[in-house]
Amino acid sequence: MQRDKTSPLPYQDNKPQGSADFYFAVNATFRFILKKRGVSGWISYLRDMATEYYRPVWTAWREDGLPAVATYLQAAFDAEPQAKFKIEETEETVTLHVIECPALKHLKSAGREIVPEFCQHCYHQYGTMASNAGLHMRLRGGNGSCTQTFSRMAPAEQNLNEIHPVR
Amino acid sequence: MIGTYDFCGHYEWTFAWLEAAGGEQLLQEYWTEAIGEDAQKHAAELIQGQGFEGMMKYWGHTLAEESPEKGYHMTQSPSMVRCDMHDCPSKGFLIKNNLQQYKDYCDHCIGWLRPVLEQAGFRIDHEHNHQGQCWWEFREHENPSPASETGEVSGQHDVRHLPHWPQKEHDRFPEKSDSKTSQ
Repeated sequence: MQRDKTSPLPYQDNKPQGSADFYFAVNATFRFILKKRGVSGWISYLRDMATEYYRPVWTAWREDGLPAVATYLQAAFDAEPQAKFKIEETEETVTLHVIECPALKHLKSAGREIVPEFCQHCYHQYGTMASNAGLHMRLRGGNGSCTQTFSRMAPAEQNLNEIHPVR
Repeated sequence: MIGTYDFCGHYEWTFAWLEAAGGEQLLQEYWTEAIGEDAQKHAAELIQGQGFEGMMKYWGHTLAEESPEKGYHMTQSPSMVRCDMHDCPSKGFLIKNNLQQYKDYCDHCIGWLRPVLEQAGFRIDHEHNHQGQCWWEFREHENPSPASETGEVSGQHDVRHLPHWPQKEHDRFPEKSDSKTSQ
């Protein structure tokens, strides 16, 4: 399949959304790597994935800037089952308001034990992708809803304590 | 966020990352512990508790979600369950998007399923062709029957009838074998 260049998503599927049960595997993968390789190994995993697997995404961000970030986030969250979110754009920032995180909603409703660090993964992933694109990303909130801000100008350093552990 | 729409893509990428980090042993531990015992623990509970009926319920739900076009066929008899996968949604996603980091994505299914099935008292016969087609037969450990001949169990739905079944290299997992054999 040739890449659909009209889509901001780098990979195409026949289905408009993924299966929510895949969140079980994402959470279990985090638990496994945290157990076997510790927090630093888990962060390396996320940063490596952001740089390698998501290269087509951050390459588009680097070429087209914040508008590409906004269109990607819109498409990526549209493709997640039951995601409730809102995106705001200014000339200097793109802000993703995750009103109800689809992953945590599904994991909690299924009674799954969620790794406390779960919400940090968005920072390590998107933060690395933004950095590779010459942008910045900061995250506040967590545990079901959060605010993710992508910007051209460097903001204050991310305080990981501002990302709520999952309870 | 690491999402679900392209799950098979980053899942496959993760195999290569784990293999680089800790070799095949770490990857097999991942399939056993993270996938079989954690992510898919609902499968283990269904199969351990309800046997063949549990298998039909598990794959009925999972495949309906992942393969709404129904590119598969399940067959249940009193002594076995058979799955013929005609168009694997997972491998198909990788092929369509030209994604390959790990040498054999298809190995993940037997990687997590075999420990789950063996613990529940079942054994597996399986063959895949690395192109999104495979078949599975699950029998109780005590059942000495060999894998079925083509069409014997699932009739016209047997994936081995497909003209493109013979393509590419096949991996075959005979019963009670610890290593795959290529044909």
